[in-house]
Amino acid sequence: MPAAEASEQSRGGASSVSFQGATKRYGDSSAPAVDHLDLEVEAGEICVLVGPSGCGKTTSMRMVNRMVELSEGDILIGDESVKKRDAAKQRREIGYVIQQVGLFPHRTIAQNIATVPQLLGWDKDRIRARTTELLDLVGLDPELADRYPVQLSGGQQQRVGVARALAVDPPVMLMDEPFGAIDPINRERLQNEFLRLQAEIRKTILFVTHDIDEAIKMGDRIAIMKQHGRVEQYATPAEILMSPANEFVEDFVGADRALKRLSLLRVGDIDLWRAPNARPGQSTAEVREQLAAPDVEVPYALLVDADERPQGWLTQRDLAGDTVPATADAPLGPLLETGDVMRDALADLLQGESMYAAVVDHDGRIVGILSVEIISEFLASSDAKIDERGAVERPLGPDRKSEIAADE
Amino acid sequence: MNNPLLAMPLAAVGQVEEGFFHERTSETLPCQAHPSHLFCWHWASENINRYGTPTLQQFELVIISVVVGFLIAFAFALLAHRYHLLQWPLLAGTGILFAIPSLAFFLLLLPITGRGRETAIIALSAYTLQIIYRNTVAGLANVPPDSKDAGRGMGMTDRQLLWRVELPLALPEIIAGLRIATVSTVAIASLMVFANVNTLGSPLYQQITFKTNILIAGGLMIVMALVFDSLLLLAQRLLAPWRRTSREVAT
Repeated sequence: MPAAEASEQSRGGASSVSFQGATKRYGDSSAPAVDHLDLEVEAGEICVLVGPSGCGKTTSMRMVNRMVELSEGDILIGDESVKKRDAAKQRREIGYVIQQVGLFPHRTIAQNIATVPQLLGWDKDRIRARTTELLDLVGLDPELADRYPVQLSGGQQQRVGVARALAVDPPVMLMDEPFGAIDPINRERLQNEFLRLQAEIRKTILFVTHDIDEAIKMGDRIAIMKQHGRVEQYATPAEILMSPANEFVEDFVGADRALKRLSLLRVGDIDLWRAPNARPGQSTAEVREQLAAPDVEVPYALLVDADERPQGWLTQRDLAGDTVPATADAPLGPLLETGDVMRDALADLLQGESMYAAVVDHDGRIVGILSVEIISEFLASSDAKIDERGAVERPLGPDRKSEIAADE
Repeated sequence: MNNPLLAMPLAAVGQVEEGFFHERTSETLPCQAHPSHLFCWHWASENINRYGTPTLQQFELVIISVVVGFLIAFAFALLAHRYHLLQWPLLAGTGILFAIPSLAFFLLLLPITGRGRETAIIALSAYTLQIIYRNTVAGLANVPPDSKDAGRGMGMTDRQLLWRVELPLALPEIIAGLRIATVSTVAIASLMVFANVNTLGSPLYQQITFKTNILIAGGLMIVMALVFDSLLLLAQRLLAPWRRTSREVAT
């Protein structure tokens, strides 16, 4: 996405959302669905509300656009109370994406996206221009504009749902399990794609899910809720994984939280090992000398080409001659990129039954070697420093982008 | 020609006047000599004109009755949709009207509204209420809750939600109701000969034992029903194009 277009997208900006003792009581029942919720969501952040079913996360979210009316307390968007204005008019300025997407089956994709602009009385040309822009933004072919939702795949429908919610560039978006109805493979893609989109549009997003893995992946901050909308911990994913506030959070995050921390990390984020690099034609004596050095981290030499692209591992037989041969005896094995998520990298290593994996940058040049040992050392270190930048700031590797492009 | 079938309803009306069926001719029907003949082409070609006016009148009567019935039933359905408490009383009310045999209802109306087109319209439209009402209410109830939630969540007022989301999505079921109502009205409208409306019922009852006559009058009614049904089906196709689109895999 060109920068000019990206800045065009963010012109609507983002507003903070502040829950101030927000309470929802149904009827006279003594136990409120949401009990005095206080929560500050910073502008431009994804705040994930996560918790077991019935914890009040969806009710809390729906109070923001008054699909559920507050019984007590207040919610501010920016500095303004949501109670001040007519609910319907207010809702037009808040993006809304629900689990089943809720596209209107009787309206074409373009008409669906144009819903709020039409309510606001935009003229036709402006609506058409905006629709094209949005289809492009969410990565859909403009040819789909005149189709009906039933003609689209689940993933495409979900993207239309996001485009529709973004139509008038709202400062705040509410997303209720937006990827809940999508199969796991496409969910992964859509999540990545949405994070990429959010890096451009930088909306304030309240995101409801019951899936802690999704929360860790999507959230800049996560609010873990128990019954009655009580927040047990409100922190960054890294904090929640490293220091759960109490037993409830610990249980909810799961016994494998050490492993989950790997989801927060990219291969390029930690110190990699180095292997002696060898070019074809180089003297083998030199390579053998490097391998014999006392501080060698990887006891094998990596064959690289003139552009420093790894080709394979050199064996004793390769190094028996005078010069390094043009092809290596042992295959390269798994090849990782600095942008890969550490959890996926570990899976690649285990699946490749390989001790070491070469890590390359975006241009395919070797930057280091990842080993299972590095990962286990990282997990063992109690003060492991996890990069606490928000998920949206973490770059996606080019392979992820091509994955997104290949979707559908 | 003393036909017991004819005598029954006339006696029931209680005001059988001479000449109610005064057009009944005593001409000798050419094919009557051969009762085994199913259809007499010769007679048909000479007498086809007599069906023109009744066909048009019945056509008109059906349209007016269904339109009136639709307007009332639609209003009822919107009321029931808005105020759910009204749903059952309205269903029961229209149900009672529907349950009364049309002829009996017509006879009940006679002392009040007299014999004439108004009576026919009242009887016929009352009969359509239940069908149209029930289909409209069901159509509105079957609108996917997600679509409603999304519409409301994006800032539609109740009225906007009704006209932009709920009614368009209920349209196929509303039209399905209209189709049933219209086709049954075509059939019942022929009885309105007893209200002095010159429908296809009049030629039918004039010579009720003459097979050729029955086949022509009956055939015209079937054609009329088919025409109405096709027109409504066409309307549905045009108004609800999303229903036609097959689930082709998008690329």
